[in-house]
Amino acid sequence: MLSFWDSASFFQMLLLLCNGALTTLQVFFLTLLFSLPLGLLITLGRMSPIILINAPIRFFILIMRGTPLILQLIFFYFAPSSMLPEGLKFNLPRFTAAIVAFSLNYAAYFAEIYRGGIESIPRGQYEAAAVLGFTRRQTFFRIILPQVIKRILPPISNEVITLVKDTALVQILGISELFRVARNEANRVFSTVPLFVAGFFYLIMNWVVTKVFEKAEKKLSYYR
Amino acid sequence: MPILEVKNLVKNFDGLEAVNDVSFTISQGEVLAVIGPSGSGKSTLLRCLTLLEKIDRGTVVFAGKTIIETTAKGQVRYAPEEELRKIRPRLGMVFQSFNLFPHFSVLRNITEAPVHVAGLTEEAAQAIAFELLAKIGLSDKAHAYPYQLSGGQSQRVAIARALAMKPDILFFDEPTSALDPELTGEVLKVIRTLAEEKMTMMVVTHEMGFAYEVADRVLFMDKGQIIEEGNPEQIFRQPTNERTKAFLKNFNYGSRF
Repeated sequence: MLSFWDSASFFQMLLLLCNGALTTLQVFFLTLLFSLPLGLLITLGRMSPIILINAPIRFFILIMRGTPLILQLIFFYFAPSSMLPEGLKFNLPRFTAAIVAFSLNYAAYFAEIYRGGIESIPRGQYEAAAVLGFTRRQTFFRIILPQVIKRILPPISNEVITLVKDTALVQILGISELFRVARNEANRVFSTVPLFVAGFFYLIMNWVVTKVFEKAEKKLSYYR
Repeated sequence: MPILEVKNLVKNFDGLEAVNDVSFTISQGEVLAVIGPSGSGKSTLLRCLTLLEKIDRGTVVFAGKTIIETTAKGQVRYAPEEELRKIRPRLGMVFQSFNLFPHFSVLRNITEAPVHVAGLTEEAAQAIAFELLAKIGLSDKAHAYPYQLSGGQSQRVAIARALAMKPDILFFDEPTSALDPELTGEVLKVIRTLAEEKMTMMVVTHEMGFAYEVADRVLFMDKGQIIEEGNPEQIFRQPTNERTKAFLKNFNYGSRF
């Protein structure tokens, strides 16, 4: 017990936590990498006037936002090997399953944020672009999307901060991310200190996230 | 030869005939003013002609080419999309609320379409833009952003933006209605200059004095129809229709007439 408090042991714990944080960061970045663009596709489907497209998308968003993320993790890990018909069954590695679940879940939230942003752009912007001869594609990517990005930065930063903390959920699949490592350490040395150190790690990560978004908002503050 | 011919145009909104069987022509170099009470279908008519609204019946011939026609069975047919794509930039539009792109500088507001729609080089587009900025008296605002402009300046930039595409006709949808009274003058001055240069224009306006002074011809619309049509002298001084008379009575022209 006492030995835990000597600097060598403490340093060792930090090393372990850093290792866990690395996994946490992998989950974090891979989720963003997939969910940010996927969210855009989903929102375009959600806003489609074709019911055969928008109805399934709405249902998808309802499921992803309406059920616990922890359950979705379990589903994507176990479903491929148990719920598929014989012959189609396959094993999804736990880390892959975690990334799939996180990406789909966050994409659903991002999609709704994007939609809010897109719908907040005045009709006049579309009309001005149309009479100048811009195609629909040009209008979206040159005129609408840049304005949307500025408007959605605050809600997106909320989601990204939540994501940092949500990564702890992947431990349900036995992945050794930051919080699981900290909990194991806490049990081993019979102290809550590792948990609070982990908490400090999350805080540092979110401090960086906050700074990045502040920078981005500042960069886009050249217009109103 | 008329640059634009409109025959029997109908546009319904929720069963209401916003534009009801309207026919008229615009000649090359002509300035046509459209006046009338709110809800008379003036703006809707303009939006139909700039292809922002789909019409429900009628024919539109632009520069000798039929771009919208209605079959004997009453089916409206637009020219194929690739043709319309070429025609849209030739039909310029200036909106009541400017609709400048807030994330672009004044310069880029003007050059964006010439570069990405007309395919001009950045340099060529900027040359045109600076020429237009000089013309509207805003050369010093090239690198400003729309939020830094007054309403009058914004509308002048919107006019420059439309002109940069070298339209055959420029449509104005109440270009001064969103402006403070002291700012309307600078916008009207630009339109007046364009009129002197024989730019073909169709202007929906509540500025009766301006319509009287600048327009070659005036359409008076009410309840979706053209009630009276003539030169400004006729419409403002000797209106024949009762509704035109009643409408014009509401305006105080001061010593202009």
